[in-house]
Amino acid sequence: MNIVCLGLNHQTAPVEVRELFAVSESKLGQEAERICEIEGIEESVVLSTCNRMEYYAAADDCRMASNQLRSFLQRHGGEPLRLEHLYEKERVEAARHLCRVVSGIDSMVLGETEIFGQVKKAYQAALESGTTSRRLNKLFQKAFGIGKKVRSHTGIQEGQTSVGSVAVDLAEKIFGHLRSSRVMVIGAGEMSRATARSLLSRGAHSIFVTNRSFERAEELAAELDGEAVRFNDWQTALQEVDVVISSTRAPRAVMDRAHVEAVRRKRRYRPLFLIDIAVPRDIEPEVGGIEEVYLYDIDALKEIAHEARGQRVEQVRLCERIIDQELVESGLFEP
Amino acid sequence: MAQWLLVAATALVVLGGALGVQAVRTGRRNRGTMVCMLLAFFCQLGLLGVRGELRGKCPLGDSGEILAFLAWSLVLFYLVVGPAYRISLLGLFTAPVVAIFQMVALLPGMLKHNLEKADKVDPWAEMHAAFSVLSYGAFALGAVAALMFLVLNKKLKEHQLSSSLFRNLPPVRSLLDSVVRLTTMGAGILTVGIMAAFMMDRDNSYGLHLVGAVVTWLAYLVVMGMHFWRGITPRRLSSSVIIIFVLSLLVFAFV
Repeated sequence: MNIVCLGLNHQTAPVEVRELFAVSESKLGQEAERICEIEGIEESVVLSTCNRMEYYAAADDCRMASNQLRSFLQRHGGEPLRLEHLYEKERVEAARHLCRVVSGIDSMVLGETEIFGQVKKAYQAALESGTTSRRLNKLFQKAFGIGKKVRSHTGIQEGQTSVGSVAVDLAEKIFGHLRSSRVMVIGAGEMSRATARSLLSRGAHSIFVTNRSFERAEELAAELDGEAVRFNDWQTALQEVDVVISSTRAPRAVMDRAHVEAVRRKRRYRPLFLIDIAVPRDIEPEVGGIEEVYLYDIDALKEIAHEARGQRVEQVRLCERIIDQELVESGLFEP
Repeated sequence: MAQWLLVAATALVVLGGALGVQAVRTGRRNRGTMVCMLLAFFCQLGLLGVRGELRGKCPLGDSGEILAFLAWSLVLFYLVVGPAYRISLLGLFTAPVVAIFQMVALLPGMLKHNLEKADKVDPWAEMHAAFSVLSYGAFALGAVAALMFLVLNKKLKEHQLSSSLFRNLPPVRSLLDSVVRLTTMGAGILTVGIMAAFMMDRDNSYGLHLVGAVVTWLAYLVVMGMHFWRGITPRRLSSSVIIIFVLSLLVFAFV
């Protein structure tokens, strides 16, 4: 099957180059029609997302189609486009690349699912414009099937790889949905801000912010739509919250076992998730010995993120095996 | 016939548990465990129906029947609670408990043969027996949820988060809610069972088993009272629920 893929993505081209080629969803069909007007190209699909721009074409002569497409892109991109920004795949390599894209293993966020829908829309637009026929129809249908299989047979979407995401996943493992969870942020630093934002994005609604500088606490509280608490009063707020994110620059621990012991009864021994992302640590390790407390410091969170990254590498290998096996079995490409 | 229904129910429960283990290993969810438990439930119903017909009253006349009734009650609560509370892996943890009850019930001498049909039936005695055993189903499932919490708690405390079991266990809060709801429900049903016992004919002696049931009832009341009144740590709540359930099974030795 003579298929060509020419494209650029987040790994090969900076955003100022990628944006030159961006095509809105409503114009994908028209762009595919323009590609089909190029001599030697019989079918085409144009994929445009914020991270990639790819042209898939079917032609009798792959080499000629590829050269023509490259000339077209260079005319279109002008001066900023350089040869190293582009990647070019032919035949089974093009098919393998499409399957990787559909499966989310070529994405910036490994395993993300949005790309599947974006490729479907690009294909649908080309189909409606009449720029696809036997070859691309077969290829894209097969790629969607493989994409589904990869997602259902591997753990490519599982495991978080950033400290903030790990913390949020753990919070959900403890509290389920976070809609009824209250959060306290100790220290108005960038890390606690990012982690608190992740928790808010998953539904946490009530946030207390405390900081030695009350003004900074008020600023962050306003940004997070929360409530500022004076630093002397954080122990009172501890009675009410479920999650504490601590990231101060204090030279010694801010929270010790006695602080938590003092409020256990008032908290009715509810689970308490403590996220200590400060160095040196804000929360004494002994606090983790309290029965209903789950304490995770920066090293523990990083280790979990690191493990998840390792597991994902394994999963990528598994995904690639599935793709190769499915492409061989499809008979689309002669051995 | 009854014996074979119990064998079938046990085989189905074991198969359900195996499918649950496989789902955890592969990370792929399936409804196999739920389907097996549902089929086992119908086999149990058949068994209890046959035995009830032979006895002419509620089939709780020997240890085998009590264990089979208890297993049925546990599966009943699992089938109701599992989907309603969306507790994944509940079947995997429930299956071994049900299998153990039924395997013990299958031991020689547990299910008596040559049953005599009852001449008269005391409705209070029937109600006492049925409600008491039904409450044990709720207590058993509460203990299963408590065990799941203890497993998850250990993994969270020790930062062992990479296993498929961890990923598939429900959140801490859902498990604790289930422990509280099931134990409260069980205590409520047992209250009815015990009240019915005091309405029974004087011919039916109250015996040691009733004392045991009252002690069990009081123990659950104390734990739940502590939980609702002043709070109790999740680990102590779960451990207490499991210990009381295991000890309370001794009540059946006095039936």
